[in-house]
Amino acid sequence: MTGLEATITGFLKLTFLSMVPFVLASQGTMLGGRTGVFNVAQEGIMLVGASVGFLVSYMTGSNLLGAVVAMAVGGLFGLLLAYFTTTLKMDQFVVGLALFFIGMGLSSLLPKLAIGITLTPPVIPTLPDVAVPLLNKIPFIGPILFNQNILVYISVLASIGLWYILFHTNMGLRLRSVGENPKAADALGINVVRNRYLTSIVGGMFIGLAGAYLPMVYTGTFTDLMTKGRGWIAIALTFFGGWSPIPILLGSLFFAAIEVLAFRFQVGGSFIPYQFLIMLPYIATIVVMIFSFGKARPPAFLGQNYDRERRTL
Amino acid sequence: MTQIKKFFPYLIAVLAAFLILGIALWVLKFNPLKAYQTLLFTSFRTPNGFIQTLLKWIPLTLVALAFTVPLSSGKFNIGAEGQMLVGAIGAAAVGILGRDLPPALLLPLVILAGMLAGAFWGLIAAWLLYQFNINEILSTVLLNFISFALIDFVATGPWRDPAAGHPTTVPIGEGGFLPMLVKNPPLHSGLIIAIVVAVAIYFFTSKTSAGYELVVTGANPRASKVHGIDIRKMFLFSMVIGAAAAGLAGAIEVSGVHHRLIEGLHSNFPTLGLIIGLMARGKNQVVPFVAFFIAILEVGGSAMQRTIMVPVQIVLIMEALILIFILLADIIKRRQK
Repeated sequence: MTGLEATITGFLKLTFLSMVPFVLASQGTMLGGRTGVFNVAQEGIMLVGASVGFLVSYMTGSNLLGAVVAMAVGGLFGLLLAYFTTTLKMDQFVVGLALFFIGMGLSSLLPKLAIGITLTPPVIPTLPDVAVPLLNKIPFIGPILFNQNILVYISVLASIGLWYILFHTNMGLRLRSVGENPKAADALGINVVRNRYLTSIVGGMFIGLAGAYLPMVYTGTFTDLMTKGRGWIAIALTFFGGWSPIPILLGSLFFAAIEVLAFRFQVGGSFIPYQFLIMLPYIATIVVMIFSFGKARPPAFLGQNYDRERRTL
Repeated sequence: MTQIKKFFPYLIAVLAAFLILGIALWVLKFNPLKAYQTLLFTSFRTPNGFIQTLLKWIPLTLVALAFTVPLSSGKFNIGAEGQMLVGAIGAAAVGILGRDLPPALLLPLVILAGMLAGAFWGLIAAWLLYQFNINEILSTVLLNFISFALIDFVATGPWRDPAAGHPTTVPIGEGGFLPMLVKNPPLHSGLIIAIVVAVAIYFFTSKTSAGYELVVTGANPRASKVHGIDIRKMFLFSMVIGAAAAGLAGAIEVSGVHHRLIEGLHSNFPTLGLIIGLMARGKNQVVPFVAFFIAILEVGGSAMQRTIMVPVQIVLIMEALILIFILLADIIKRRQK
């Protein structure tokens, strides 16, 4: 393997690895949004997912258990969001922000209560790479795509699964109709409330797992505010991907590439001050939004609660 | 009597939050009564406690207004953090470059630079909304993250104070310092500026026709449009005004408290500003009072951590809980009608 090839392989491998939190959080956002529940608590849910996922892994020694609990907590936040907005009809943005605060507060409180302050940070083993037999022997592509940690595969498969469910099953059609026109869906006998709860909870689970990925793959430990805006970026990516699973997957990949590139330049040293490289992913998101907003239409009832007894929509 | 009746559900909401967290504290083996005593009364026990509370009230009120003014027109400005930081950068830049100017000139320039820089940062998001219809929640949050890198760049650049361990610039000219109202413990005159701004915004939104157009836009954008109000201009305008208030908060921190630019000077004010704005349910005139309440909790919260080791993060959770219960009280009130 030549030096250049090794560099490119390394870069692409890291890009796929960095794509995962964006994919999971964006798919979770998309899923809730498809029925009209617009979650803006991603940053808080990811932080709680990271915190709880890390703590459970640290205490039980099982990353799997940590990931499962992180998903459960994410689902709980999704449930709360659905209850406050769908059942109590509170403003979705306001509830989302309140959940974001609670998540942020809990995420830094829990490690202090459970572990306390230690001299050396407690660490968990990060997820190992799992080679897919045979496929990992394909030249060039093999090491990039088929020698990754398990959540890379899961995030890609989940994206494809979501695409299939949303666009090729009856259930998906019902979900989408709730987000496009809940009144009509209701008239057809589709349970608007149940569909909104379901997608909000499952979406929250995705977002919680996205958070748990950070300590489990990147750092091995939890640090305060370690999501660094990834939750907010996930919302932007969801818009960018037109609320559709496959474009979201590709958008996340593109975004991860920029993130890795900025990081590489930072470490490698360059004539540009590193602070401007840190800005790059955020600026890229804004530029991307300029080109994507208004083109792909979000679900018609995104962010709006449905009241059966109201005459007009 | 009607006032009391109106206020009563919110009082219950606050008490419910205290009760739930009290149980949580008790389960965690802290003494809830002692904790709450510290939380609520630290601000009033000593002159220093009271002045600390006022010093927190100043930026809290301004960043909360940075949220509620755009909310009056129906827009969510989550970017007070970035606007405050860029305001602080602008104020510090003018204060350092013009360090030899006399106070009569430098002080107004520093304050003005902070407001303009903050307003500019808000204008970016407002323009993206105006021109490309980009969701302002997203653009303002992303601009926050850009501003973190920006302040790091400025505080570690040519103006860096090599003696400081933390990224910090050299001090601004003494002419740019806000005069002190009380010498010891120090209380600067940013207090007066914040009061003036809060009153001015109240008058603007409730007593002027331009302010009325703003509020109407938020209440019913479609009807406003039909009646000839350029609602997109209203969005732009309200975002810029709010951002200027956040920029002012940054300038006051530089000119009144630190006398230099320090990375992290925004503390947790912008997050609390959102909570305050939401607790006030977007009402500009309620913001200063809620901000005072939150300032008490913040001062009490750090005292609680120092004296009885209750982690200070409890306070953020408590504030979020109070917020949710206040919103629930609204729902219950609506149902009873």
